[in-house]
Amino acid sequence: MSASGRRRRGALDSGFTMDETVAEYIRRTVLKIPRHEIMEMLRMWDFLSKTQLQTINVHQIKERISQEVVELCEENSASIKQAAILDMIYNHTYRNKKVWTVYQMTKVAGEETDSFNLADFKYKFKRSLRSALKNVTINFREYEDNAIWIRIAWGTQYTKPNQYKATYVVYHSQTPYVFISSLRSSIPLLCQALVHASNYHDIHEMELRSRCIDSLKDIVFKRYSQTFQTYHPRPLQERNVAPEKVDPRIIQENKREKERIQSVTQEVFGEGLQPKIEFAQYKLETMFKGEPEMDILTEKEPFRCVVKFSSPHLLEALKSLAPAGMSDAPLSPLLTCIPQKARNYFKIKERKGILSASCLGH
Amino acid sequence: MRRSGRPSLRRRQDMDTPDSGGMTPLGRKTAETGINFTSTTRFSRGLTFIRTHTLFGQSPTRRIIPQTSLLQENADPQKIAFLLRKQWTLYSVTPMYKFSYGNLKEYSRLLSAFVAAEKQKGLAVEVGNDLGIKVTLSTLLGLKGTDQDQVAILVQIASRSQLPFENAEDKVVWSGWFCCICGDDLLESVPEDFTCLSLFLANGAESYTAIVGSWFQKTFDCYFSRLTISPLNLAWMAAMWTGCKVDSHMAATELVFSVPCIPQSLDISYAIHPEDAKALWDTVQKTPGEVTQEEVNLFMDCLYSHFHRHFKIHLSATRLVKVSTSIASAHCDGNIKFLHSKHLIGVLTLLTELAISQIQ
Repeated sequence: MSASGRRRRGALDSGFTMDETVAEYIRRTVLKIPRHEIMEMLRMWDFLSKTQLQTINVHQIKERISQEVVELCEENSASIKQAAILDMIYNHTYRNKKVWTVYQMTKVAGEETDSFNLADFKYKFKRSLRSALKNVTINFREYEDNAIWIRIAWGTQYTKPNQYKATYVVYHSQTPYVFISSLRSSIPLLCQALVHASNYHDIHEMELRSRCIDSLKDIVFKRYSQTFQTYHPRPLQERNVAPEKVDPRIIQENKREKERIQSVTQEVFGEGLQPKIEFAQYKLETMFKGEPEMDILTEKEPFRCVVKFSSPHLLEALKSLAPAGMSDAPLSPLLTCIPQKARNYFKIKERKGILSASCLGH
Repeated sequence: MRRSGRPSLRRRQDMDTPDSGGMTPLGRKTAETGINFTSTTRFSRGLTFIRTHTLFGQSPTRRIIPQTSLLQENADPQKIAFLLRKQWTLYSVTPMYKFSYGNLKEYSRLLSAFVAAEKQKGLAVEVGNDLGIKVTLSTLLGLKGTDQDQVAILVQIASRSQLPFENAEDKVVWSGWFCCICGDDLLESVPEDFTCLSLFLANGAESYTAIVGSWFQKTFDCYFSRLTISPLNLAWMAAMWTGCKVDSHMAATELVFSVPCIPQSLDISYAIHPEDAKALWDTVQKTPGEVTQEEVNLFMDCLYSHFHRHFKIHLSATRLVKVSTSIASAHCDGNIKFLHSKHLIGVLTLLTELAISQIQ
């Protein structure tokens, strides 16, 4: 099969061609997919016929597979629209590869809720973006959990849309929440289009970000398990076994204190698995209080610092701090409020009264 | 509320046993990093005359704030600029036997041949190909803390340009340099045949570091080992560098902690505004001309207690893994980045001290 060389020439000669950039985009998208998932994704794509799919040999290097897919796409003269759909299927499957930011839309008080019309939403969204920017690729795809996935590739007045830096938007029509990936300069346009299309009044960022969009949904839809579990001593005891062996500081005499820490931790975090977020950031502008007996930094200027926590599973890591002796029990509300407050970016300033209370009041 | 900062203090000090202590010949640390220096000798010469300036290789409880932190006048600004803003991996080196500054040209030739030969060993396919590699040893003038310090040496591996132009520049693919800043305070009089360049810094592929290192080990009967930085020494760096005056490009003092012994890894970055960090250090630092262990501890404890007040987490129970300031940034694995030429000598003085205490 001397396909690749011939293909290129053939495509150029025939006049009935697929855009080179579309071919290249499909090729690169296929290359991103793990080999054992390629067929499944192509089936979901539903662009190539069953007979065409059967001709693809998946038992060869990915370069060859992607080349074969491109050839078949050329037969069907795929457009960027269809190529974008393949990218959407890939990104829906690998949605945790992006960092998602949550936005919340609001209505004017008293305004009644219209029933949602998908066709209307799509039409208004496209019209709104296109009136501001001519060169955009917009694709929609609906998923069973009422989620509408929107892919937008941005161009400028003079340049074609950049398919490799597309923005993804996930909107749940029954809720005011929108999840947006790849923040860029066009965000005001995008927000405007969303508000307009969904009949809301305003939109704002929630200061909540994560790679795990499902966990973000759990947080804003209040689906994560919280304190309502009944107390199960047995599994707790079992979980205690490991730290007891590793940590020699915890000895028999401390058992009561240990139990208190466990129950306080459980009270704060609940027993279920925490929603998955990877980071939290705090900008602190609070008064410095060092060692009480030392006369250190007595000025009334706030001490400015930025604290960032990062972990593959931040809330689970925080939950394990007190049992591991790394923190007080309970942990600071600044940290434990993340799921309830639905935010992981904070700016903390000193106010009268107790620090933590003031911080939590935004 | 504040009480809880206390018990963990003790814990921190326990954890702070410096890791710069006992080093075995062909030390474990080298093996860990995946670099295997081949050495013909079991014990390097020249170890015996290094003064054991502290008991059991512990860090000193006080350090002088370097007064002459400026580079000497004969420093080549281009070469110094080359050292800045690059990630260097630190090694300590035992004194070199019969190293001669007059022979740098000859060493360049020999090392070029050695590197080419070693490279070909691994690439059976490319035998016969001119690898186009050129090694140059040169002096790094001006990089001295005192007049007694040995002249620093720069080693560079360049791959020859494929371009046909006469003046096409070779591309530097690997660099390393030896120095020993204010080392005379720490070393007894060194016999004539030995040269003390105790600190070695490398930037580039580890395979080159291993080849160059093993050539020096064979040729000058010395011994290289990775120089890691203990949390205690990182705290010293945080304090001393925060205290340095910088005219422009002030950067935050950032401390990065890693929380051990929990199922999910957790990193905490604590970045303090440079002015506020300096103001805190200035209220803590009272001893003129020097910095004491107590001051460093107090500085860190203040930061820990401020942190605890907000998050209820005991940073003292975690591990300090990285420090970065306007002056430099250092990682416990033994990586350093110099950010300010004015304070280069000061930073190197501390690193030289750590290198020497590792080879004791």
